Amino acid sequence: MDPKRFLNERSWIWLALLLVAVLVPVVFRSNQYAMVLVTTVLLYAVLAAAWNIIGGMAGQLDLALGAYLGLGAFTTGTLLIKWNITPWVGMLVGGVLATGFAFLIGFPLFGFKIKEVWYALSSSAMVEVMRVLFLMWDGVGGPTEVYMPTVISPLYSLRFNTYIPYYFIILVMLIGVIILNYRIRNSKLGYSLLALGEDEDAVEVLGVDSRASKLRALLIYAFIVGVVGGLYACIYGFLHPSFFSTAMSTEIAILGIVGGMGITYGPLLAAIVLVSLKEYLRSELGGGLEGLYLVVYALFLIVVALYQPRGIAPLVERAYQKIKSLFGVRADVKSQ
Amino acid sequence: MVETATQSIITGVMMGVIYALIALGLSIVFGVMNVVNFAHGEFVMLAMYLSYIVGSALAWDAVLTPFITVPLLFLFGLITYYMLIDRTLRQMYVVQLAVTVGLQILMRSVALIVFKAQPRALQYSFVQGSIEIGGFTILTSRLMAAVVSLICIAAIAYFLNKTWSGAAMRAASDDLDAASLMGVNYHRTYGLTFAIGSAITAIAGGLLMSFQQTDPVGGVRYGLLSWCVLALAGLGSLPGLIVAGIIVGIAETLAISFIDPRARLLAPYLIFILVLWLKPRGLFGRK
Repeated sequence: MDPKRFLNERSWIWLALLLVAVLVPVVFRSNQYAMVLVTTVLLYAVLAAAWNIIGGMAGQLDLALGAYLGLGAFTTGTLLIKWNITPWVGMLVGGVLATGFAFLIGFPLFGFKIKEVWYALSSSAMVEVMRVLFLMWDGVGGPTEVYMPTVISPLYSLRFNTYIPYYFIILVMLIGVIILNYRIRNSKLGYSLLALGEDEDAVEVLGVDSRASKLRALLIYAFIVGVVGGLYACIYGFLHPSFFSTAMSTEIAILGIVGGMGITYGPLLAAIVLVSLKEYLRSELGGGLEGLYLVVYALFLIVVALYQPRGIAPLVERAYQKIKSLFGVRADVKSQ
Repeated sequence: MVETATQSIITGVMMGVIYALIALGLSIVFGVMNVVNFAHGEFVMLAMYLSYIVGSALAWDAVLTPFITVPLLFLFGLITYYMLIDRTLRQMYVVQLAVTVGLQILMRSVALIVFKAQPRALQYSFVQGSIEIGGFTILTSRLMAAVVSLICIAAIAYFLNKTWSGAAMRAASDDLDAASLMGVNYHRTYGLTFAIGSAITAIAGGLLMSFQQTDPVGGVRYGLLSWCVLALAGLGSLPGLIVAGIIVGIAETLAISFIDPRARLLAPYLIFILVLWLKPRGLFGRK
């Protein structure tokens, strides 16, 4: 990043957001519920930001997130339970395994040029396949919940009794993934991916290897999700095959779509809006009718998809331009 | 061993024909309109619940409930089309995904509110019982369901091939612009297609309720199974759809008998993934 651009106004916004993010736990440190909420929002934001690489930029509607997440979680958990290996290492191993698994899926899928709905459905089926396999694999717990122990120290086994340390770990991950998003967006890979989304055949004629580009995007995404999966197991404190969740995979993809496909801050925005809305509705309406909060959530989702098909990020972009012109700053050309 | 396998295959064939019927609803919607309905399984779930309401309120047999639920689901399909699907036709397919996933969550959570989480089932059907042939058991309810499914598929085939509306649907599927020039109103044709796709699930729902129970999250399974059948069959071939349904049904029952009851969905999903890799157009695909 060149120094002149580093301190433009958008960077200031990011810095302000970062400051808010750092201050949140200071303000809410005694409010356990608020900490759970903000940690959940950040967790979904990291996953959605990672999904943006394969879904938003490469245009592959990946619904296999649950498979990578579950693999990461089970790798990290099993390493800790069986051999006392710290999750700090386990997360990386989980990421590598998830990447390997993604390669096994992605190599044939992209080779046969399976696209759109069929890619989405086969990746979704993959999650179910993994869930059933782990359900039957009694060596790692099978259908029972296996609890993560605290060995040596909380820091070693990543088992804290407050959410604050998790919050900061995820925050660091989120910053990393957002920077990675920007780096990829402005690299040859990013341009290739965006162009592939427009016209795959034309781009191939220009010498871009579509399979290799998509595969790289998939592997990066799978690695991040695998690492987050390890942390996921530590936060929840147990392992269960339900981590291989098709619902969660779809939910993250929805965040990516609702946020605005391919826009870096879109998933972050969608995670903040949708996850907070969902958790708020759950706590407000949950006591009365089971499921009512999901009705409101679903209606919101449908309305946004119908009336803001390009996502909510462009909406914010417009509001931002408007505010700027209100304060007399000349509206400049959109840099996104 | 051989006997277990034969028994599984017999049961699988009968289940498979019902799967073919469910997939037919999805197939005409996807084939004609190119609309990806992620909520298709939830339509089946809704059909099963409606069948439960009608069956328990009027003390009817599950098999008879489609006489009332078919018009209801036809109407529901029509409303869904005009309120949601019609507005997504010109958008990217991810918008369709978001809308139909929203619909899926909506239908599931409404079912949860109205019926709570506990599964619902109807009284034993009058077709309860079984036929013994050469040492193998054929459940009458399944046989009945399979036969009715076949009749329905044949009726839909007749409709698609012999009526003007059916021809309009096929024409819209082949070339929308040319069909529009020939006087096909695509909003109406699409609305009809979606409503028929939805009405088909009402028949399947009634048949399923004659030997199964329903719960709010049970729809997902039928949705994914329908996509498996569709991937296997390819678009545009009704006999292919039946064969594909039977393959999926047999794979499921064989997995239950020989691997593990928990592995029941493993076999169809693995077939699904392999077919996409090896024959992306399906075994019998027309286009």
